[in-house]
Amino acid sequence: MTKRIICILLAVLAVLALAGCAQGIKSSEHLDDYVFTVKYHDNFNILQLTDIHWNANSSAMASKTYLDKLLKQANDHIVSTQGSGAKIDLVEITGDSFMLANTYHVETFVDFFEAKAEEYGFVYTIIWGNHDHHSLYNPNYLADTYKNAKHCLYLEPKDDLYGRSNFVINLTEDGTRATKAVWMIANLDSGASFSETELSPFRDYDYIRPEQTEWWLAEHAAAGEDVPCIAYYHIPQDENAKAWEDVTEKGADYKNKYFKLEGFADNGNEKYASDFIDKAKDHGLKAAFMGHAHNDDWTVEYMGVVIGCGVKTGTELYYAHIDTESEDEAMKAGLKSVGITENFDLIGASLVTLTGSDGSFDLEHLYYNERTDGDFVRWVKW
Amino acid sequence: MGKMVMKMFDKENFVFSGLEGKQKKQGIVLIVCLAVIYVITAFTFMNFLYCFSDCIGSIVCASADVALRDALRSMPIFLSFFLTLGGLMVCQSFYRNESKEIAAKKAKKHAIITIVIGAVIIVYTVVMRILGRYLSLVEGAPSPLYPLDAMLYALVFICLGVGVLVYLKKFSEAHPYAGPSRPLASKKGRFCHNFFTTLWMLFALYGFCGFFYGLFIIDFENGYVAYSIGVLIASFLAFCTFACWELYYNNLKPEKKKDQLFKIALISLCLSVASAVFYFVALKFNLDGPANVGFGILPIAFSASVNIATMLVVATPLIASVAALIKGLVIRKK
Repeated sequence: MTKRIICILLAVLAVLALAGCAQGIKSSEHLDDYVFTVKYHDNFNILQLTDIHWNANSSAMASKTYLDKLLKQANDHIVSTQGSGAKIDLVEITGDSFMLANTYHVETFVDFFEAKAEEYGFVYTIIWGNHDHHSLYNPNYLADTYKNAKHCLYLEPKDDLYGRSNFVINLTEDGTRATKAVWMIANLDSGASFSETELSPFRDYDYIRPEQTEWWLAEHAAAGEDVPCIAYYHIPQDENAKAWEDVTEKGADYKNKYFKLEGFADNGNEKYASDFIDKAKDHGLKAAFMGHAHNDDWTVEYMGVVIGCGVKTGTELYYAHIDTESEDEAMKAGLKSVGITENFDLIGASLVTLTGSDGSFDLEHLYYNERTDGDFVRWVKW
Repeated sequence: MGKMVMKMFDKENFVFSGLEGKQKKQGIVLIVCLAVIYVITAFTFMNFLYCFSDCIGSIVCASADVALRDALRSMPIFLSFFLTLGGLMVCQSFYRNESKEIAAKKAKKHAIITIVIGAVIIVYTVVMRILGRYLSLVEGAPSPLYPLDAMLYALVFICLGVGVLVYLKKFSEAHPYAGPSRPLASKKGRFCHNFFTTLWMLFALYGFCGFFYGLFIIDFENGYVAYSIGVLIASFLAFCTFACWELYYNNLKPEKKKDQLFKIALISLCLSVASAVFYFVALKFNLDGPANVGFGILPIAFSASVNIATMLVVATPLIASVAALIKGLVIRKK
């Protein structure tokens, strides 16, 4: 009897071990498998929403009301500044959409974005943040839900790349692979966290791994070396902190704007500094936008690349209250850069408009606060 | 090995042997009730931890206002855990009784507490709806019917509490509970005993939920198999040690307890050490495993990126086994 139980247990373990050893495809040999195509036009609008953080405490009804107003505001703004034919073309949701959530949250969330995609005529794409794994659902369920949503651009080949949401959206002349890419939007999974050793009491934030950089370089070469690119990922890499240090401590004269009210919550260890921006800047990377640090939307032009945190979307988990009376130097600097003279909360969205095929784009941050006496709305240009 | 297991589960070892049919029936029904309510408590504890972890996250990130807003919204979820604990204590009053009178007195007290908590949930939800803090009684999240489902859950427990009170007042004379007695710890050191037992129980609940949910939400397809198995085993053992103590050890006849304690402790220690070693070896080769396998099963473990909660789950069976081993040795010496 005992022997039989041991045999059954060993068999179960062997099956599970084999399941885990299943080898995926080689990303370098299947570059086409990572590509979506969407039709490009000048004034292509990408709205970045980040760190929505639906969780066990969230009111789905209240959160949907906020997102509804935010999307309407963004769409109205685009129409008023670009003309009646203009619209949101792509919504980039840059991670931490969920934390401590469940399948009900996921279904409600995706249903909401599907309905809005129909209403406004956009497609949306999602990348993973460090908290998206931490919920009462299997991560594969989340991936499958995104994959099966009609208006969601999401894919996840079983491959040798680190992370899940590594793919590109090539904006081509006719929206198919038959024509050349005019712009590339790269989505990278910056991971979650890892322990340095098995006995570490804390975990370090993850980073974009060298094999992801190599994969992106290959994808970009396939699209065309002259194709400008914007990358979206969740966790800031080492460049954000280096640029901040240069500006605040070394007096560097980089163009910079908006708020930096907390650390970037990046890995912070030189040993794990990512090579992504270092290498990509010489291959058409024009900008990199991320989320993660809710109290930061600081943006800087560093090494020829515009690097910036998106404005946190919604009021879940935490966000900064901007106080015009504050003595905090960072807050004062942020307020001066945006020119706002009243108190508000640092929540909203970020809008990138691709103005031409030469790599030019505009960036605006939207601060949107719900208020009983009329919502607070400010658009601040980069 | 097989003979030893058979001997451990010999029916003559248990408090039920020698009882009349009715007594035995009552005792077994009570154990089933206790096990069911223990499982429900584990789920409500997980809900509690989910909401609590998020509030703590907000506080750690200097947004106490968000934590307060969220805590007020999720108050019925927090209270539901205590409501279920109240129900568990009612069962426990009969299960670990010293005498019929004390059991009835304690059961009455816990039934009243359960009814009061249930009433508070209902009144609180209605008031919050009237004040507009809930946009609807089926506002949605974390379930489609929240907060209405919390009210219904409270109503069920109120009915159960009232049922216990009615039984104690009207029917307990004619149909007294006559199941086996399992005395509590002696008065000396009872506070410490209760404190550590409660702590142990909470980690066991945490482990139970970790194991149960883990079966469904862990991603076994992305190369973290060894680590995933390590977490599942550690979680299951944390639960097993407590279940073994409550459902096996406490059902042994007093004279059999002395014989069995050392054996159980030794088996438990071997399993715990093996599980801990497996866990840490697996972690060594899956250092990013905790963040990637679907770690929602242990909500506290990832808050603020700490590994300590997971380590405590791994340590729980070890600590319990060592404590039991020491007790077993002391009893043997005596």
